[in-house]
Amino acid sequence: MNRVGYELVIFGALLASCCTANQGALGGDLVNTAVNRQIDLTSQLAKFTTTITLENAGKTATTSFVLAIDPSLRDRLSFIGATTKDDDAEKLPVTQTTVPGRTTDILFRVDLPKALGAGQSTTVNVEESYTHAQTPFPAQITQAEDQLVLFKGNLHFYSPYKTQSETTTVKLASSKVESHTKTKAKVEDSSIVYGPFENVEPFSQEKLQVHYENNTPFLAVSSLVRVIEVSHWGNIAVEETYDVRHSGARLKGSFSRYDYQRQLDGRSSVKSFKTILPAAARDVYYRDEIGNISTSNLNEQDDAVELELRPRFPLFGGWKTHYYIGYNLPSYEYLYNSGDEYALQMRFVDHVYDDQVIDDITVKIILPEGSKNVDLSVPFPVDRHPDELHFTYLDTFGRPVVVAHKSNLVEQHIQDFTLRYSFQKLLLLQEPLLVVFAFYILFFTVIVYVRLDFAISKDEASESRMRMQGLLDQLQAAQDKRTSLYQRYEDAIAKFKSTKDLAGFTGSRKKIDAEHKELSSTIKELQGKLKLESTDVAEKVGELQKLDTNLKEQIGLSITLAEKVVAGKMGKQQYVDNEKVYSAKREDIMGKTETLLSTL
Amino acid sequence: MAGESNIRTALSNPAGWQSLLSFSILALAYLAAFSSRLFAVIRFESIIHEFDPWFNYRSTHHLVNYGFYNFLNWFDERAWYPLGRIVGGTVYPGLMVTAGTIHWLLNSLHITVHIRDVCVFLAPTFSGLTSIATYLLTKELWSQGAGLLAACFIAIVPGYISRSVAGSYDNEGIAIFALLFTYFLWVKSVKTGSIFWAGCTALAYFYMVSAWGGYVYIINLIPLHVFVLLLMGRFSYRIFVAYCAFFILGLLLSMQVPFVGFQPIRTSEHMASAGVFALLIAYGFLKYLHTHLSSLTKSEMRSLFFFAVAASAAAVLMAVVYLTYAGYVAPWSGRFYSLYDTGYAKIHIPIIASVSEHQPTTWVSFFFDLHVLVCTFPAGVWFCIKKINDERVFIVLYAISASYFAGVMVRLMLTLTPVVCILSAIAFSNVLERYLVDDTPKVHHIEDESEDDEEGDKRNKSKDLYDKVTKTAGKVRKIRHEPSGEPESLGGNVKTIVVMAVMMILMMFAVHCTWVTSNAYSSPSVVLASYNHDGSRNILDDFREAYYWLRQNTDDHSRVMSWWDYGYQIAGMANRTTLVDNNTWNNSHIALVGKAMSSNETRAYEIMKALDVDYVLVIFGGVIGYSGDDINKFLWMVRIAEGEHPKEIREGDYFTPQGEFRVDKAGSKTLLNCLMYKLCYYRFGEMQLDFRTPPGFDRTRNVEIGNKDISFQHLEEAYTTEHWLVRIYKVKKQDNRVRLDHTVRKTDIKPKTKFTSRKSGKRKRGFIKNKLLIKKGKRPSSKNKKPSRKSSSKK
Repeated sequence: MNRVGYELVIFGALLASCCTANQGALGGDLVNTAVNRQIDLTSQLAKFTTTITLENAGKTATTSFVLAIDPSLRDRLSFIGATTKDDDAEKLPVTQTTVPGRTTDILFRVDLPKALGAGQSTTVNVEESYTHAQTPFPAQITQAEDQLVLFKGNLHFYSPYKTQSETTTVKLASSKVESHTKTKAKVEDSSIVYGPFENVEPFSQEKLQVHYENNTPFLAVSSLVRVIEVSHWGNIAVEETYDVRHSGARLKGSFSRYDYQRQLDGRSSVKSFKTILPAAARDVYYRDEIGNISTSNLNEQDDAVELELRPRFPLFGGWKTHYYIGYNLPSYEYLYNSGDEYALQMRFVDHVYDDQVIDDITVKIILPEGSKNVDLSVPFPVDRHPDELHFTYLDTFGRPVVVAHKSNLVEQHIQDFTLRYSFQKLLLLQEPLLVVFAFYILFFTVIVYVRLDFAISKDEASESRMRMQGLLDQLQAAQDKRTSLYQRYEDAIAKFKSTKDLAGFTGSRKKIDAEHKELSSTIKELQGKLKLESTDVAEKVGELQKLDTNLKEQIGLSITLAEKVVAGKMGKQQYVDNEKVYSAKREDIMGKTETLLSTL
Repeated sequence: MAGESNIRTALSNPAGWQSLLSFSILALAYLAAFSSRLFAVIRFESIIHEFDPWFNYRSTHHLVNYGFYNFLNWFDERAWYPLGRIVGGTVYPGLMVTAGTIHWLLNSLHITVHIRDVCVFLAPTFSGLTSIATYLLTKELWSQGAGLLAACFIAIVPGYISRSVAGSYDNEGIAIFALLFTYFLWVKSVKTGSIFWAGCTALAYFYMVSAWGGYVYIINLIPLHVFVLLLMGRFSYRIFVAYCAFFILGLLLSMQVPFVGFQPIRTSEHMASAGVFALLIAYGFLKYLHTHLSSLTKSEMRSLFFFAVAASAAAVLMAVVYLTYAGYVAPWSGRFYSLYDTGYAKIHIPIIASVSEHQPTTWVSFFFDLHVLVCTFPAGVWFCIKKINDERVFIVLYAISASYFAGVMVRLMLTLTPVVCILSAIAFSNVLERYLVDDTPKVHHIEDESEDDEEGDKRNKSKDLYDKVTKTAGKVRKIRHEPSGEPESLGGNVKTIVVMAVMMILMMFAVHCTWVTSNAYSSPSVVLASYNHDGSRNILDDFREAYYWLRQNTDDHSRVMSWWDYGYQIAGMANRTTLVDNNTWNNSHIALVGKAMSSNETRAYEIMKALDVDYVLVIFGGVIGYSGDDINKFLWMVRIAEGEHPKEIREGDYFTPQGEFRVDKAGSKTLLNCLMYKLCYYRFGEMQLDFRTPPGFDRTRNVEIGNKDISFQHLEEAYTTEHWLVRIYKVKKQDNRVRLDHTVRKTDIKPKTKFTSRKSGKRKRGFIKNKLLIKKGKRPSSKNKKPSRKSSSKK
């Protein structure tokens, strides 16, 4: 309902504008003094290039003139454009118009660059392209036959003005002509010249029919969906989905690979074609529903990337295929900004193959999440559909999608569109922050889960084990410190021996003694606690204490020995011998302590 | 000072190091398992491989598009035309549901991954999980070190990779994970005797049931384990609790899978589990009585007990046999019977025998798939038997049964591979434990030996008692010190040499695995590749070319007849209706297609008309020398057709009188004129592949074909791919008027028009064929006139 309403509004607006702005008279008393028409039928298109010399036979100056579309081809019109016949070939604006009294005709008003005064004349080039204007006849051929097509048109230049003199040249794809309209015709190799005709009345029609061989590929894109995904991180991803068919004469009977491989026939079939992508295109892929299509070649050139596409199978008349192409483009070539205002300038439709015919195209432009104030301008009229939302990586509220549709396009439609929108740069940080936050929550949960005990019932054994582990760690630390004290004892003794400073030695000894006492009491305390958890371990700690007392005794002996030797009560040699015994014992006890600790 | 000592203690804390190390080793094993399976994706593309995966992919696609309930109720009218197939009820949905769930999860997080990519990378993802499950199982069975080795082995062993490369989207990909995880949980529940673990086992078993038909292996192996434990007199209430909880829950859960349904209580394959359950209950009951009947002496008690158990076992067996005979329980199906008798399938079910992966395994493939592991595997079994306990009984049984099955069928290599990895890891870990001893300073050694040994014994005891008080920290120390008892005699050089040799073997194993994976198991088989002399690659994409042609340029409802191998691919890639496919549930339908292929064109046309066939698709490898084509499979078509239509199709007709299968001039006339032959070789006789060979030279069979003059009356060539690998023919509609294939017999009859004109012209009444022409009213010469006059005068 909403959409219908929207369309109605658009339609109404269009209608109103048509009625007011574009309504006009035929534009005074203009006369086509000379008309030279070229009808190019060498491809599947019918390309008209008309050179018109206009003369203002009236009294008032006119700024525009009207072009009329031949009624026999009116549904086939794809493109119309006009330029001045100068060196610089200025493009003239062409707009559709209506004229009272000629409601059935499709008319276009061309604005001239400067007003055409009375009696003056000017020359204009008009270019028209018609699609599907050549119909295969016969409609079905076998693999070995050539494709014959029929073109029906107007022998005269269909114009609202009187034409004084005109000639028409029809260029054909081959010199093999089955039949053609004979009126004032002159066949020259692969072209037919009609005329010159003199003083042709306005809106005059006469049948022009040519039946001839045309084996050029009649390849048509039935529908094309072009998705452009803009990322502000520097990339524009383009994906185009094609439905392609061979719109020429249908294949009758069987397809023989043997004959096809001998390359004797199947001349109208499509084996491969070339698509030209932008020069900056990277990561090109060519796939369909069942995977990569391995028959393609990529050729990188300076100004473009040439993609030689071969469908999985050759396309004969009536056969169709479906595929998609995608590539990435750097955004700096297409995306412009000033502050938070952005403008995307890209081609509305790109090159698919030479002399392309696209029946329908839908362009979808996916903008970054949070883009606002979207405004699309295309150089030719398109249907703008309501915006959609697209969700992809890390999106929360969706990316706006601009959708535009147009039917019946040819290569003249390869023109740029401009899409303006505003986007706050700060929003760029939203997605990375989202990831950071998600990981933060994940790690936090893990931390909480690991640290806290969620068990319903208490696991006594493991708790006691954990408590014990804690106590043992403390024990280990205390024991380490205590062991280091003995080193200090020895150092003190050595110092005492060299300095013979008894007072200093006693002082330091007392200090170490005090520390030792403190540590021993700590260990004792720990032992008491450990006893609650495991008597086994506590016993071992008791053993440890015993060993330590032993060690202490040893060191005490060593100290007395040192005092003796310093006091001179003992000979040097005797001291050394004794000390050796003591230190060996100490080593022994230390080793035992170490092993005992390692079993804890 | 304090901080420093903290760090020191943290670094010297072996538990921390160990868990970090094992975590990183497992992470690396996961990574290796995942990345070594990506050869095909890197060389070709992210594509579904082979045949069955295409069906799985198609049904996953259906599940994703239409939801779970529509998937369960899915009636696929595009398969088995005109019968159709109830997919929801004839498929193990675990795989599709897994992939669908992952896809759903990712997409609900707006990670737009295509379902195809989920399917392609599912098997590698689950291979990583398998290696973790293997680690857990091995850790329960032996030690952490062995577990890590096993995880690394299973990550790269070709026997498992063959079924789980990226793109091989098949049941086995996730089923091996489910299998090992179930076994891990079972071992855990046997060890703990807790209902929680048994419940988990049942859940894992449910996942396995939903994923693969191989679940029958679990439901027979676990009862076997329990039964053997009973026989060994190792009954305990832990086993009783674990098995009863697992059996009841597992039974109920497995019946929730639509494809399984009532099979767990109606088929012989499941009866062993029920029997063991009954036996266990009886045993438990007798044990209970035992406590009350203390009046009897011990020996009396024992004999009574033994008798009662034997009687109950016999009763259970009798009950099962009776139920089978009475028809309540279905007897063993042919597929299982063929595991017992390898010749059975070839005679009775040719369709099973025709699949190459159902052939018996060759010795070569054992080495090819397992390399050095196949040699060390018996050592692992020996270690397990030497230090037997409840759960090691299980792994030994697993090893024995899986070895047997792997010998019977190539495909079942897959179930053998994990146990080989586990047991080899145990063997290797034992060797390394012995020889890779850290030479700690002797000072400690001599003194702590006595203590250490004591402790080691204690730990062994505690292990038997499943007392988990000893932490892993203790274990490592044990590992370091335990062997120090005897190998003091081993010199450092011997140790180094042994360790070097083991490392070398393991290195060669890794190299072999990579090579096999890269060369043998990483071809998508949908895309073929050939290499030129200069190393550049040619891709032969004929299959997809043909399928895509069908998809784009035929009517949406057209029916394609082909041999059943290609059914899933046609359905998946071409999206067209097929007559038969890889789900070979209807033998007679397949036989009908086989019959059409092996009859002459007229007969075949009758069948094709009856089956509404629009297109016929054959695979022909004669141009490029592709050996897996339809002519090479043709004898199986004949055999299967003969099984159902013995009067019309006889295998002998397709052989030469000497009993050879030949496609050249000497081949049998029946073969040279049957539909398959004509479809494959149509216009091939005109084609000259190179100048050394005559036209019509078949590169696969290296002969010049015998029938070069092939024309069709009811068919026409619709499409042939670039390398002639796939040929598609269109079946013509019937003519309005049946044309005669012989010229009309010529007679001397004058055209009718002449006759009528004469009749009307001269008003004659009749016309006699070949009448002598008598010219009337013409007088003979003057001589003759006289007698006539005379006669007239007489009158």
